Amino acid sequence: MAEAPKDENAIVRLLDIRKTYISGDLQVPVLKGINATVNRGEFVGFIGTSGSGKSTLLNILGMLDVPTGGEYFLEENEVSQLSDVEQATIRNRKIGFIFQSFNLFPHLSVEQNIEVPMVYARIPGRIRRKRALELARRVGLGHRLDHRPTQLSGGECQRIAIARALSNQPAFILADEPTGNLDEKTSGEIMKLFHELNREQGVTIVMVTHNPALGPHYDKIIRLRDGRIDDTPFEWEYPGAGGRPVAAPQEREAQP
Amino acid sequence: MMLVRDLFGLSLHNLLLHKVRSILTSLGVIFGVGSVIAMLAISEGAKRSALAQIEAMGIDKIILFSKRPPVSGKSEGSDNASVMERFGLTERDLVHISRMDNVADITGVFDARKKVLKGLQRTDLKLVGCDYRFLEDSSAKIEKGRWFSPADYENDRNVCVIGKNVKRKLFSIGDTNIVGSTIRIENDVFRIVGIINNEYGTQYPELGGQNDLILIPMTTARAHYRDYTFYREGRQHKITRVEYDLLLVKVADTSYIDNTAKRVAGYLEKTHSETKDWGIVVPLELLKQREQTQNIFTIVMGSIAGISLVVGGIGIMNIMLASVYERRKEIGTRRALGAQKSDVLLQFLIETVFLTSLGGVLGILLGIGIARTITYYSGMPTVYSLWSIVLSLVISSLVGVIFGTYPAYKAAQQNPITVLRAE
Repeated sequence: MAEAPKDENAIVRLLDIRKTYISGDLQVPVLKGINATVNRGEFVGFIGTSGSGKSTLLNILGMLDVPTGGEYFLEENEVSQLSDVEQATIRNRKIGFIFQSFNLFPHLSVEQNIEVPMVYARIPGRIRRKRALELARRVGLGHRLDHRPTQLSGGECQRIAIARALSNQPAFILADEPTGNLDEKTSGEIMKLFHELNREQGVTIVMVTHNPALGPHYDKIIRLRDGRIDDTPFEWEYPGAGGRPVAAPQEREAQP
Repeated sequence: MMLVRDLFGLSLHNLLLHKVRSILTSLGVIFGVGSVIAMLAISEGAKRSALAQIEAMGIDKIILFSKRPPVSGKSEGSDNASVMERFGLTERDLVHISRMDNVADITGVFDARKKVLKGLQRTDLKLVGCDYRFLEDSSAKIEKGRWFSPADYENDRNVCVIGKNVKRKLFSIGDTNIVGSTIRIENDVFRIVGIINNEYGTQYPELGGQNDLILIPMTTARAHYRDYTFYREGRQHKITRVEYDLLLVKVADTSYIDNTAKRVAGYLEKTHSETKDWGIVVPLELLKQREQTQNIFTIVMGSIAGISLVVGGIGIMNIMLASVYERRKEIGTRRALGAQKSDVLLQFLIETVFLTSLGGVLGILLGIGIARTITYYSGMPTVYSLWSIVLSLVISSLVGVIFGTYPAYKAAQQNPITVLRAE
């Protein structure tokens, strides 16, 4: 692998990332050499249909899985071959996870949910509570700290999840289909929140989705097709869109 | 460490959330610990009361008693003939033993073998003559009235001191002026001068409980009855001649009591060579034997309690394993948010230890409850000690560590990718 020049502005840099699953004698290549860069402050969308390898890429980006080949630079440190303990530490400090089904802990209060990553970062309780309150206010739920997730709407849950993802001031937010379980109106509100965070606080966001309708929100779109980056112009997929990703009305039906 | 504190809070939170499930889960440990506590309380109580009883007989005593020798073949003589039966300890034995080394004192008791009646009903009470020092040597206490005076002995007075149970068995509840009143036994009338109580209810071989005795001075007994007893058995008249029914031998130095007892037994074997018409009891020896059987009892009960704890532990392990499966999504989320494998392991381990410790605490309460109930209904004394409670707590948390490790390890080994996909 050629030594790439250091790029201080890059948060995530993927160099020829490959992943091959082996089942019996059969080798199934899922990622066939992904090259991509996410710069500081960018809002990047990875878009791909199911089977395009986007889940695998998400797992590798989130350091839940290890690539078979290639290099993954996180803030210019190669992280793909680290030990289990080091990976967990990086997940904790550098990556803010957001899930499609929110994955809040139903038995904990909103405040405790936001605090979970800080607990694993061994941050003292006093500071945790202060920061949890700030974050809850930031996502507009400062008055709901003592509630349980089951008492909140889907949109509110996802806001709490966003607050939780931000709690250790990560290098970037990694969102997996964050509006997949929400209705259209709430989706719009959540995307607006992401935008505000991105524009006003310079939070770097990586969003993995199958939904091309979200295209207009992103600074940069990286399309996945069959384990590779799809460089073909958009017109090929959305005739008449003029090179810019636009929400095609007929694509909305793809939303669950 | 800060995290440990947070995990403790989390575990407690989880337990309180599923109160019923937590209690059901730790039921095995509850019963295990409960049986340990109850078992220890019962065995400790039994031990103490047995020891107290044996001690009350006197650990510095050797007790010798007369017993009717086994009848060999048919008794001779015609149907109407009087048969003379002679057996037991004699004055000669008393004098000889009192001269032995290490013998400090010797007290004799003689059973007059009279029928003690209440109305027309025969009672199990016994009229016995005793030496002056019997009160001191039998560890009984004067409850009312007085003990015999030397003058009572010198003048063969018709006075008696009765045991506590005699009062209950011969008099009605309302009677208050028992001391000073008289009782009639066959043709003799005795004035009651005192009531004594042996709080341990010491039992003497052949004679029975000390509180069931009507005591008269030995000199009075000899004056009235010599050492003969006449009675009828079928158409036969029998005469029994026993000089002493009981000898309480007090030794000077208890560390040689074995030796002294052996010498006494050796002497009696030689002088009573025809039939074995005597017995010997050394309370100190009984004490040692009792302690041994007690230890065996404790070991057996302990093993049973131990098995129930193991079964309880396995039950908890099962449920924790199921819980790991049920909570895969939580585990995966925690791992994604930055939990180390060791954090997950610790979380599940602490939860299990919490469960078993909770079981331990409830078990201790249950055990104390069982012990109290037993004491309440059967009067058996039970004693629970601090160390048995501490021991139970330690054991129950240990059960948590032992049986929680495998489920916790399983939880830590969950692959976050697969568990996050599992909806």
